[in-house]
Amino acid sequence: MFQDKVQVLWNRKIGPLYYKIGLGCGRGIADADPGQFIMLRLSGRIVPFLRRPFSIHRLIRNEDRTEGIEVLYRVVGECTQKLALLRPGDFVDVMGPLGKGFRIPDGVRRVFIAAGGIGVAPLLFLAFSLRKKQIDPSGCRIFLGGKTKTDLLCGEDFRSLGMAIHPTTDDGSSGEMCFVTHPLEAAVRKEPPEIIYACGPPGMLKCVVGIAEKFKVPCQISIESRMACGIGACLGCAVKGKELTEKYLHVCMDGPVFDAAAVEL
Amino acid sequence: MNKKQHPDLCVDIGKIRLKNPVMTASGTFGYASEYAQLVDLNRIGAIIVKGLSLVPAPGNPPPRTVETPCGMLNAIGLENVGLEAFITEKLPFLKTLSPPTLVNIYGQSTDEYAELASRLNDVEGIAGMEVNISCPNVKKGGIAFGADPKSAYHLVNAVRSRTSLPMIVKLSPNVTDVTAIARNVEEAGADALSLINTITGMAIDIDTRRPKLANITGGLSGPAIKPIALRMVWQTVQCVKIPVIGVGGIMNAKDALEFLIAGATAVQVGTANFVNPRATTDIIEGIEAFLVENKISRLADLIGTLEW
Ligand SMILES: Cc1cc2nc3c(=O)[nH]c(=O)nc-3n(C[C@H](O)[C@H](O)[C@H](O)COP(=O)(O)OP(=O)(O)OC[C@H]3O[C@@H](n4cnc5c(N)ncnc54)[C@H](O)[C@@H]3O)c2cc1C
Ligand SMILES: Cc1cc2nc3c(=O)[nH]c(=O)nc-3n(C[C@H](O)[C@H](O)[C@H](O)COP(=O)(O)O)c2cc1C
Ligand code: FES
Repeated sequence: MFQDKVQVLWNRKIGPLYYKIGLGCGRGIADADPGQFIMLRLSGRIVPFLRRPFSIHRLIRNEDRTEGIEVLYRVVGECTQKLALLRPGDFVDVMGPLGKGFRIPDGVRRVFIAAGGIGVAPLLFLAFSLRKKQIDPSGCRIFLGGKTKTDLLCGEDFRSLGMAIHPTTDDGSSGEMCFVTHPLEAAVRKEPPEIIYACGPPGMLKCVVGIAEKFKVPCQISIESRMACGIGACLGCAVKGKELTEKYLHVCMDGPVFDAAAVEL
Repeated sequence: MNKKQHPDLCVDIGKIRLKNPVMTASGTFGYASEYAQLVDLNRIGAIIVKGLSLVPAPGNPPPRTVETPCGMLNAIGLENVGLEAFITEKLPFLKTLSPPTLVNIYGQSTDEYAELASRLNDVEGIAGMEVNISCPNVKKGGIAFGADPKSAYHLVNAVRSRTSLPMIVKLSPNVTDVTAIARNVEEAGADALSLINTITGMAIDIDTRRPKLANITGGLSGPAIKPIALRMVWQTVQCVKIPVIGVGGIMNAKDALEFLIAGATAVQVGTANFVNPRATTDIIEGIEAFLVENKISRLADLIGTLEW
């Protein structure tokens, strides 16, 4: 596992509250799986105090070398506000890769991905991995949802991988005016995929899991919880499991990606 | 290497000799294996593992942690794997390490504490135990025993009679007079004291008007509590003869040195591990550098040298 101060390579604003930050951790995190995360800390500051979890958005590759990772983040509070002020050459402290990522079953050909808002962050990395596994992009469909058009992220990135996207917004400012789960359900009904991957707000995930159960499609979801350590030491990131109800699961070790059947949302 | 460059950092906690005074605080370092890839575990003075109970405990519902100014609140509720799984799954790794392993224990009744102590007594690879009579996050046990000098005496006495292992007793700051409890615990046969556990606190989400922790209250840790911990350690060392271990908000060598100068024989590093996984070894290096710089050849000569 990697943990060190690393240089900010870039920190680009891609929407009102959204940024993409390039982190020069070299090969340190090169063996990450999609869905894994890092714990990030602003160097030399006491506020914010604890590290914050962020998904790996993609690996930064230059020819055949991995030079670092990119994180897609939304400004919501202390840490992300300060993160947005960083410039290339500044340092942040990165620890990772952490947790269990998405699993890609052998031989899948028809894959649906549902992303709600910032939930798209780990899913682009997943899309890259699907391509790397030689899965035909025409069998992959991306259901991209947001409150308004500025919350629809990474559409171009998926398209450039050859994957079809279905945008939706709550206010109709872009794509269809509905929740992302509407076109997802319609498409699943028409011809079910072999697997559904999803990440987004809890309400959306519940709905996706409901659809997966109804049509008996395997489903993996990436979920969040408050974290202090990120590595299984504090036991702060507990979530209720569906199987062993007397025991909690831990998002940083058992997740953040879970089989939908394993966790209680 | 000559002596001048490498000061003697050894300290004794009862019968346990530590190669340096820096331990990990219970509940903040898991069972050490979690940190194996991030820090050189063999350099740490001693490892205190997550609080252990006789049978596995599920812990409290989430959310269990929240950041607060210069610290955090936690209400884990002593989730742990229980004695059996600890011995079969966690202890084998700990035994491969050079630092002594200390097991932090808690129970819901005096009998449970005593039973756990006696079962651990015969387990190979355990250097001692730390009896937690100060957890603020469980309804029964924990602090129920540590808040009152008399019940603290009875509990420690009961545990003492069932084990010959060195016994540290961990005290709570959530009391009016820590010295009365410290004296009783010493008299009941403790080999050392550690303090402080977390301070009970709470945080509210103003939008939902609900507590930020599902347990409503939690234990405050981190730099925010260091001045309180330091004050309580200083008060305690003056009224007992057994070693006192300082815990609370120690982030760096300077913080640790304050506790040692105040009279603590050793220190525990807790929440700092989350922020800097190498906090323990950074602190050991920093203490050593301080001693070299000040031409002190033995750490023992620094301990308790506070002037006032
Ligand atoms: C495994 C994992 C992966 C994540 N990946 C990403 C990512 O790729 N991009 C991204 O932008 N965010 C991601 N997050 C969420 C991110 O960790 C939080 O947004 C961040 O911690 C907020 O820090 P802050 O100091 O800016 O906000 P704070 O000041 O800590 O909080 C601001 C507000 O956000 C809420 N909040 C804080 N943390 C969380 C959380 N974990 N879940 C839900 N609400 C929270 C707080 O309750 C508060 O209302 C991820 C979280 C997890 C657990
Ligand atoms: C997440 C967490 C879990 C803890 N679990 C335990 C525990 O199981 N037993 C115990 O005696 N103390 C426990 N503590 C208390 C710490 O060992 C320590 O006394 C306290 O956090 C103060 O030190 P710090 O400020 O360096 O963290 C826990 C603290 C935290 C933050
Ligand atoms: S965040 Fe500490 S155990 Fe998961």
